[in-house]
Amino acid sequence: MIYLFQILNGIGLGMLYFLLAAGLSIIFGLLQFVNFAHGAFYLLGAYLTYDLVERGVSFWIALPVATLIVAIVAGAIEALLLHRIYKLPHTFHILVTVGIALVFQELAIIIWGPIGGSVPTPDGLGGVVMLGNFVYPQYRLFTIAVTAVLAGGLWWLLEGTRVGAIVRAGSESASNMALLGYNTMRINTAVFAFGAGLAGLAGALAAPIRGVEPFMGAEALSVAFVVVVIGGMGSYTGALAAGLMIGIIQSLMTTIWPQGAQLFIYIAMAAVIAIRPRGLLGRV
Amino acid sequence: MHILDTAKVQICLALATVLLLPFVLNSGILATEILIYAMVVAACNLLLGYTGLLSFGQGIFFGLGTYVAGVLTTRWAVPIPLVLLVAVVLGGLVATAVGWFSIRRQGVYFVMLTLAFAQMFYFLAYTFSDITGGDNGLLGVPRPQIMGHVLDGPWGYYSFVAIFFLVIFAVLLVVTRSTFGRTLLAIRENEGRAAAIGFPVRLFKIEAFAISGAITALGGALHALLIGIAPLESINYHTSEMILVMTIIGGSTSLFGSVMGAGFYLLLSDTLSVIWPRWLLLLGLVLVTVALFFQRGLWGLVERGWDAFAERRKGPQKEAGDV
Amino acid sequence: MITRRKFLATSALASGALAMPGLSGQVLAQDKAITLAVPVPISGAFAANGKYAVIGAQLAADEIAAAKGIKINTLDLDTEGKPATAVRKVQDAAEQDGARLFAGGILSSVSLAMGKEAERAGGVFMTTAGADEITGKDCNSATFRWSVPTYGAINETVRPLIDMLPDAKKWYTITPQYVFGEGLLSAAKDVFKEKGIDHVGNSYHSLSEREFSGYLTNAMAAQPDVLLLLNFGSQSSATLRQAISFGMKQRMTIVIAWASGLEQFEELGADTCEGVYFGAQYWHEADAPANKALVKAVQEKYGYNPNYSLAGSYIISKLLLEAAVEAGSTDGPAVAKALAGKKYDGLTGPEEVRAADHQVLKDYYLLKGKSKADMKDKDDYAEIIHSGQSFLDPQAAGCTMPS
Repeated sequence: MIYLFQILNGIGLGMLYFLLAAGLSIIFGLLQFVNFAHGAFYLLGAYLTYDLVERGVSFWIALPVATLIVAIVAGAIEALLLHRIYKLPHTFHILVTVGIALVFQELAIIIWGPIGGSVPTPDGLGGVVMLGNFVYPQYRLFTIAVTAVLAGGLWWLLEGTRVGAIVRAGSESASNMALLGYNTMRINTAVFAFGAGLAGLAGALAAPIRGVEPFMGAEALSVAFVVVVIGGMGSYTGALAAGLMIGIIQSLMTTIWPQGAQLFIYIAMAAVIAIRPRGLLGRV
Repeated sequence: MHILDTAKVQICLALATVLLLPFVLNSGILATEILIYAMVVAACNLLLGYTGLLSFGQGIFFGLGTYVAGVLTTRWAVPIPLVLLVAVVLGGLVATAVGWFSIRRQGVYFVMLTLAFAQMFYFLAYTFSDITGGDNGLLGVPRPQIMGHVLDGPWGYYSFVAIFFLVIFAVLLVVTRSTFGRTLLAIRENEGRAAAIGFPVRLFKIEAFAISGAITALGGALHALLIGIAPLESINYHTSEMILVMTIIGGSTSLFGSVMGAGFYLLLSDTLSVIWPRWLLLLGLVLVTVALFFQRGLWGLVERGWDAFAERRKGPQKEAGDV
Repeated sequence: MITRRKFLATSALASGALAMPGLSGQVLAQDKAITLAVPVPISGAFAANGKYAVIGAQLAADEIAAAKGIKINTLDLDTEGKPATAVRKVQDAAEQDGARLFAGGILSSVSLAMGKEAERAGGVFMTTAGADEITGKDCNSATFRWSVPTYGAINETVRPLIDMLPDAKKWYTITPQYVFGEGLLSAAKDVFKEKGIDHVGNSYHSLSEREFSGYLTNAMAAQPDVLLLLNFGSQSSATLRQAISFGMKQRMTIVIAWASGLEQFEELGADTCEGVYFGAQYWHEADAPANKALVKAVQEKYGYNPNYSLAGSYIISKLLLEAAVEAGSTDGPAVAKALAGKKYDGLTGPEEVRAADHQVLKDYYLLKGKSKADMKDKDDYAEIIHSGQSFLDPQAAGCTMPS
């Protein structure tokens, strides 16, 4: 019974990991860009939600507003800064985004102080659902539902629509796109803003669960990286599978061998890589 | 090759650094740390600048070196030369394994893989605290002795490290200028062609990884002897990140650039942290600036400065010749 | 600003000579300033501690300087919360600035390393860190600790709670996997055994864990009456927050044995803390004259109440400086001698520096979170429901002080 419940809990975790990693995977896959600032957008999403809720704004308004602001900030950073370095080797991607992550982290301390804060669970979702001897917070169920809907929507957007086709084509041949009259630069900005917005949304959704503190970005980043590596770079369904896999492994391990819960995430990763070097569902 | 990148000039610059640091810096510990990181960063440069491998896992080997020093000296009082030897051998072996796994993928994927390995080794060190001391780390790592004299003064140990630094630097110079090194460069420039010519590309890459890992582990061991502890943080991915950032800042086209990168990063951190509690913000801005405007790193600046200087000297001479 | 790093040409020989122990330590004179080094995490994940610790140390320095008519310079050293950085900065401060007094360190690993280094450098180091080893098996002649070790923290929280909650027979623990967590856990197990409590389970977690739902699920499966959290800082905040979202506050009593005090209440907010029990080294509402004076001074100067980081740093700085004045020197052994055995009016009432292991004997508090309606002011998050002193004797703590 407890294992069953841990699997359910792991699915909940995995959906959040997926949301965190999906944006990273899209930016990796379509822009070939190593983004160490992804955690910073997660941080920003969480802190903006915290700030708005503290000011008396309803969580339901704060959630989309925070996500949108993160996307706009990320879009601005891309348009002003990052697009200049796409063509440079990955080393410079790392340098710039590590720098940006540091700036965001320290700005969070300057603006909101070094001590973290809490975001109360939104009204109407504060309760729990009973499952035999176990309880599960309504809010966590809500995040699973939101993420599942988003996952479906994203899949449709990328695979089934003209926008998705344009984005995918843009990643394959920028010059072809230019010939067809599409502005690749603008598409890149939009894709980056979108990916970062997903991280911001993940941060905003996670804020009532884990609170906010200035160093939450760095820790989110490493989970996101593992999910992307296991899932296969640029593979959207891979990110979903890997997110769930990591979430369930982590959750089960907390019952089986808690000391090694986090170690096992990385052992799972090594095992996947040993068998399938390109990740579960990686194309390249 | 730039005139400043010749082996003779490079080794002279390294020697000058070793001789000048004591006169420029008050702190022998900081100076020693610069030399240790300089060799570690140069080893990272062997991968980045000469083989085109962006390794985010250098912290694994660095941490491994500190643990080798910590475990062998505090548990069994193994003599220091043997400790350093074990660090080098183990570093090389683990790097071979990590390299073997990671090299199967390229580009961004390779970076992510090495990063994920860095995390895995961190949690290994954390979980197996019987060996590593877990979060507390290993305390009481002794300084080496030479002829019965313990090198506990800062400049005594500096001299000890300086010898290693110069030897390693010379070794790396030889490696990068050997047939092996030139092949690595060829792989970096065009891997497909190198493979087509018949070079065992993967083997060469793994060998580069092994050399780099061995040197990095040596640096880690020397660092543990410097500060007297083997802390968990040494194997954290932040160590990897720092080594990589130093390498990029220094410039990956020349080995001495790595020395400059290590020195610049450590001195900058040390200076900034005194000025403002939120100094990491300034460091972040410096990183962005370097990536946008100084893509050849500090070494690029030196080359540019030298060229401008040479040009100016040549200019008037020419005119004089005309007259 | 860059006073420490004078980029002056100094010969290697001269620098070497500066580091010779014979020339170390300052003899106090009216015209010469004492240097108090404050090695704390100003940047990095524990920046909140560093920010307030720096203020506390400065406050103590100003107070002693005014009272004794001497000049005191504080030297803030950013340890970044990393042992290696901390050791290097302590070495540097000792060699470059002649610093011998070191007040700081909140993390076990960093403080253990700094204590060793202070001893080597002929200085004296006082800390508020938690690891038992600091005044236990790794104790040394130069290291002092103000905070109560794990044994006292458990005995002044778990023991009184067992008496207060006679129906709560089943306890579950969540423990971070490192020496400090183990210390708390083994002390708790001893109390459980003695009191006939059923310890229905324990979950270990790693120090980088932020997601506790899995561990809480284990706890729920064991159906305890009390959930005892033995983790610290943002981890205990995250655990508590998530436990509440799982509705555990309604189903059981929740205790955080080692809370960080006011900082943590601010982070969690009153609603989360209501009805939860917290163990604390310091509470600004404690009824002790020295504490009231500190609260007044901080209120006047900064307009807020001192938290644990500030108060802890203040008291250890003050103790070191007073001892240096008494000894007439900042030389480590002399200051240590003046400090050992000292009895004084502390922030928790009468306190004593035990000579045998350099552990300060002081009260530990058990707090209970108030509801928002009951709070008299914005910082009145909790009431003290118990306080007292429990300490292992030095032999049992494992300290054999080198003579």
